[in-house]
Amino acid sequence: MLKKIAEHRYVIPKSFREGMTIEGLIYANDELIRQIEKDETLAQVANVATLPGLVGRSLAMPDAHQGYGFAIGGVAAADMDKGVISAGGVGFDINCGVRLLVSDFTLEEVKPKLDALLNQMFRDIPCGTGKKGVVGLNYEQLDDVLRNGAHWAAKNGYGTSADLEHIEETGRLASADPTAVSNRAKHRGRDQLGTLGSGNHFAEVQYVSEVFDDEAAQTFCLRQGHIVVMIHSGSRGLGHQVCTDYLEIMQSAMRKYNIQIVDRQLACVPIKSPEGQNYLRAMAAAANFAFANRQMMSHWTREAFAKVLGRGNLHVVYDVCHNIAKEEVHTVDGAERRVLVHRKGATRAFPKHRPELPKDYFEVGQPVLIPGSMGTCSYVLVGTEKAMEETFGSSCHGAGRAMSRHAAKKNITAEQLIKELKAKGVTVRGASKSGLTEEKPEAYKDVSQVVEVVHDAGIARKVAKLIPIGVIKG
Amino acid sequence: MAESRYRILEHPADVGIEASGVSLKEAFENAAAGLLSIITDVESIDAAEERYIRLTATDFDNLLVKWLSEILYLYDGEDFIVGEVEIESLSPTQLEAIVSGEPYDANKHSTHLDVKAVTYHQLKIQQKKTGCLVRVYLDI
Repeated sequence: MLKKIAEHRYVIPKSFREGMTIEGLIYANDELIRQIEKDETLAQVANVATLPGLVGRSLAMPDAHQGYGFAIGGVAAADMDKGVISAGGVGFDINCGVRLLVSDFTLEEVKPKLDALLNQMFRDIPCGTGKKGVVGLNYEQLDDVLRNGAHWAAKNGYGTSADLEHIEETGRLASADPTAVSNRAKHRGRDQLGTLGSGNHFAEVQYVSEVFDDEAAQTFCLRQGHIVVMIHSGSRGLGHQVCTDYLEIMQSAMRKYNIQIVDRQLACVPIKSPEGQNYLRAMAAAANFAFANRQMMSHWTREAFAKVLGRGNLHVVYDVCHNIAKEEVHTVDGAERRVLVHRKGATRAFPKHRPELPKDYFEVGQPVLIPGSMGTCSYVLVGTEKAMEETFGSSCHGAGRAMSRHAAKKNITAEQLIKELKAKGVTVRGASKSGLTEEKPEAYKDVSQVVEVVHDAGIARKVAKLIPIGVIKG
Repeated sequence: MAESRYRILEHPADVGIEASGVSLKEAFENAAAGLLSIITDVESIDAAEERYIRLTATDFDNLLVKWLSEILYLYDGEDFIVGEVEIESLSPTQLEAIVSGEPYDANKHSTHLDVKAVTYHQLKIQQKKTGCLVRVYLDI
């Protein structure tokens, strides 16, 4: 059924399943498409293509794998007037995302003090299951966080306003409305602000090992041999509960709008409906929680650097959302249209000269941050015109899981894994031993292959490669 | 709530629970036991306090998701960690249960995984004369 239409591009025709109104398109090489075909990714990309009011194609990035309703690594754009918003198309971890900080330390300067630095970061950044944040907020203050995101954090002493320029949406979605967020979601999130979480979330100390694009790397202040810190985290229990709440609301409301879906996890409502608008306001609030979260952890990272190495003047390269829906203007079939782009495990990848870009990146494009699995490498890419033409300005988001958690735990203990990573030059601090083995590098696809496909297909361009030397895991 | 009454399922990204019982009520109870085993060591929880739960839903699928979401919420939203559950009544549109447990204490209760949510992915509810089976996947 799958038709290769060009290098790294596989189309799922409308005949794949009943009800598809648009085609599916998967970006992959021969090996990655074989992995993708093993699970339900193709069926899920096709299922998404049955949702009302979608335009273009239902897309999957090369890191795609089976998710819930939407595949992880999926992108779909809905017409603002005729289309739908799906809470599952954003996912449970709203604005799960990645931030990159760059330091002026070299690898040689940090190496002798790495253990002390990791210990300090592990102490200062709350992480792991059931871990509470150190910031006690009342509900009024939490509403302030939900309205203002990273702006709240910067105003309250976590970093500076200069950081905000280098965050997608400056770290605040203005459409956020805390009254659209349930008390339950606020209960879940209140104590979790400023926590890393568990699972695949991490903070990594890395160095720039290779530069592919001198101009972009220079613009992003990435110099070979210099130390950077990557933080991967999301909106914690607050975002998870917002998604749970609105899946329920959307399921009930669908009858009213006469919407039929093929998978209950794809529950959706018209964008312009009261339920759709409320979801978008709540989603924006949860996204702001995640922006504030990463801003606070950046602050503690800087403090840890200052305590151990004498200075903590790390600056923000960029901060991207992986799970989000954004209203954007794109050219579809030759005409400009306002669409709502669902990115479920996908990164915005805007090229140069877009008004959304920070001023200092205007002539280069948006940094696209691609974390690899634990102990492997990560990448910085830059957005391209091709992404605007083909993928609603989107690209991949990481390595993508290839193995179940249970399978990952087989044949290896946490001690063995820590030793193996140490031999590769990566020191690990993990809150949970079983959590560590579930995240072993082999449980994921090869991030370098994923990035090569994206680069060769032209939907983002390689800028720099980052190699980890220390990992903090929840 | 014997452990053999549920098993943990593999999924590329996350985990699932398949629970069985002589009745659907028992299968729902066992699914809750499965969820709790993923979050924590159930043996470490004392049944010090009881909570009454009443849920309404559109059908059994909806009810199963709501039931497990409720237990997850008690832990993540109210710091109340459930050790035992007893469903008093179950119909396609309503569930009443008494759950017992105690306030979460990081020094006493070890936790394994943070569960983000309960999903409808491949959700299955099977009622047969020989027994009942439910299947549900969790986002981790």
